[in-house]
Amino acid sequence: MDNMKAVYLEEASELLDKLENALLQLDDTPDEKSIIEEVFRIMHTLKGNSSMFGFINIAEFIHNLETVYDLIRIGKQQVSKELIDVTLASMDHIKEIVKDHELANEANKDKHEQLTTQILAFTGEEHLVTSTEVKEKTTIKTKQDGKKTYHLHFKPGKSIVNDGNNPLYLIDELYSLGDCIALPYTDKVSDITHLNPTDCVTGWSIFLSSTSTTNAIKEVFVFVEANSVVSVDKISDTNLLANKKIKNIITTTKLANAPFDINSLNLTDEEAAEEPVTKEKTKNKSLASKVKEVAKNMAETHTKEKASSSIRVSSDKLDELMNLVSELITTQAALSLHTDKKADPGLEVITENVEKLSRQLRDIAFGMTLVPIKNMFGRFQRMIRDISKELDKDVAFITEGGDTELDKTIIESLTDPLMHILRNSLDHGIESKEQRASLGKPDKGTIVLKAYYSGTNVNVEITDDGKGINSEIIRSKAIEKGVIEEDAVLSEKEIFNLVFHAGFSTAEVVTDVSGRGVGMDVVRRNINTLRGEIDIESTVNKGTTLTISLPLTLSIIDGLLVELGNGSYIIPLAAIDKCYTYRNAKDVNTFTKILELNNNQIPYINLRETFEITDKKNEDIPKQIVVINNGKSQVALICDHIVGEYQAVIKPLGVYFKEQDYISGSTILGDGTIALVFDTNRLIRKYVDAQEDVTIL
Amino acid sequence: MPNTLLIVDDSESIRELISSNLIDAGYHVIKARDGQDGLDKLSTEVKLVVTDLNMPIMDGITMVKNIRKNPSYKHIPIIMLTTESQLEKKNAAREAGATAWMVKPFEEDKLLGVVKKFVR
Repeated sequence: MDNMKAVYLEEASELLDKLENALLQLDDTPDEKSIIEEVFRIMHTLKGNSSMFGFINIAEFIHNLETVYDLIRIGKQQVSKELIDVTLASMDHIKEIVKDHELANEANKDKHEQLTTQILAFTGEEHLVTSTEVKEKTTIKTKQDGKKTYHLHFKPGKSIVNDGNNPLYLIDELYSLGDCIALPYTDKVSDITHLNPTDCVTGWSIFLSSTSTTNAIKEVFVFVEANSVVSVDKISDTNLLANKKIKNIITTTKLANAPFDINSLNLTDEEAAEEPVTKEKTKNKSLASKVKEVAKNMAETHTKEKASSSIRVSSDKLDELMNLVSELITTQAALSLHTDKKADPGLEVITENVEKLSRQLRDIAFGMTLVPIKNMFGRFQRMIRDISKELDKDVAFITEGGDTELDKTIIESLTDPLMHILRNSLDHGIESKEQRASLGKPDKGTIVLKAYYSGTNVNVEITDDGKGINSEIIRSKAIEKGVIEEDAVLSEKEIFNLVFHAGFSTAEVVTDVSGRGVGMDVVRRNINTLRGEIDIESTVNKGTTLTISLPLTLSIIDGLLVELGNGSYIIPLAAIDKCYTYRNAKDVNTFTKILELNNNQIPYINLRETFEITDKKNEDIPKQIVVINNGKSQVALICDHIVGEYQAVIKPLGVYFKEQDYISGSTILGDGTIALVFDTNRLIRKYVDAQEDVTIL
Repeated sequence: MPNTLLIVDDSESIRELISSNLIDAGYHVIKARDGQDGLDKLSTEVKLVVTDLNMPIMDGITMVKNIRKNPSYKHIPIIMLTTESQLEKKNAAREAGATAWMVKPFEEDKLLGVVKKFVR
């Protein structure tokens, strides 16, 4: 039960997050029926779970909330800001009291009372001070020394077995309540050849001596009473079945439909005189056993193992799995190389299979670590709502691309930087209502958080329509702080990037209000640790956009292995559009650096030139061209020779190579040599930036 | 050979709580997270189904209706879990073909008692 509680707590926190999300949506679209339903459903689940796990105070508390939302559901109550406020406060309260569900802490208790009163105000009900009274369902058992005798008549509906019931089990249950004799009616039972095994045509007349009450006995039939005829009559306050004579007569009657004269019991007991019954008995052994057999056959099935739907795994184990998969793939590369040399058909088949399997294994292992980014959006929504209220700013927070998936660890490390950026946008980006009005902007500010795939990266953009960043102010601040020289010539972009410099606090830069938390330099450092980049664009009075670009995969990618001189390089497959052979290598060195491919003009980067490779090997062979894109621009890379597809396990380059720009890592090839992995995004940017330089000139 | 039971509930904690109780009692348990998942995992090996009422994707009542449509599953006992506030749904559940219902919250061994009513 205790480890079950851990599952409950974990799930409760997930449900609370979901609920918070739904509430915030409801705040924006108060009439959206589907969201009201969603809110209601989550509350209901949470209530059910809480009560099952003994968190009675929480269950009761949510029950009240649920009542309010039920009223909304049926149109008797309206969604209002106040209600959302109270509900959100309630969510916070629940998070608190999950740790203190008995309300031992006075503060919690007071809060509990206070919120309950507020919630009940929406239902129009008065709050009774003690909230801990729970309806307890108790079966009252009348304490009685002796057993009482009942007569039961039970005629199940014809289709009772079709609903999964087995009337014989009910009879068995009666037997467990005390002394019992059940006699079947057999008059409706047809000849065995005409017997429909799924129809129930029997009924029972039952004598039961038990300490149970009439209600407790009726309880046995609670699931079948709608389709069956059930009557329970007390015939005596004593145990008639203890009377051997009576018992004997009943047992020998055998069939319920056989004529049976109560007088033949010849009762001497006073109580026996009360017995108004003319009931009968049973036992057509062959038939009874036939029926039993049929029922038994129907219930009889085979049992096999089946996997459960989902389990929780610790992230340590996942990391370990990922490491092993990486090692496996490196080993598999060595195996492939070895096989190529051997020219052994048997070995080739095996190698191909190993390759296929390790690829599948890799994809599955990766899939396990990916989570949609929307999991963290909810937290932001809440934060924005709270802070904008605090700052008295009206802000619409729009999220897009919540289904974009990222590695779980990246998402976790991304939360804090994003929080910080959003807080900055709210605090320093979006102007006060008055300012906005004077600038002719809509009263309501907008912050957009957008995630999308871009080549091998996932980009997260935070855009606000606030006051933007004034590059002049940053410049003078930077000079003041000694970050740049007074006469430094910087492009606007470079000036904006000073914001990320360690000598700056964004707060000081953008407004004079003191900053909160860490500066933007820490944000950038965090993102760089994830092998990501952050970029800033801003226009005064129009707003600011921060773009965080993160690698989609952490450690293993599908790549294209290419050669340049003596060296091997990997181009991530996801960034590649097409490959071409360039017949005339000499033509490559044109002045404009534009190639014509399939009637398209594409800028190119000659890798030999860029990387200053002077090896003679492969120098004169026809070059090959790989066209890559980053979602916006296409660039052709000219290399010596395309080797083929390759699964690359990316290893970091280490601190000594931190300063280079176009390589994102390295990988070990099957023969033990090293290949460098191109960072295609930066290669493209190099080209795009180079172009910008040209336009400036 | 232990009897196989199918537990359908969208709440993981409830699913685990119920399952662990039934496993302790010697049953073999298959778990499903919603009505559709339940239908997918149902087979003739299943001796009894315990299902929640409110679930995303497919609710309990729809699932029961679908189960009963199949002649091979007609006889499988189905226990529907409801809450106090859903008691009016009891009849809807019964009409759909549910065999029994239980009101949440319940004592852990209460469910076992009900299960034993239908599976030996």
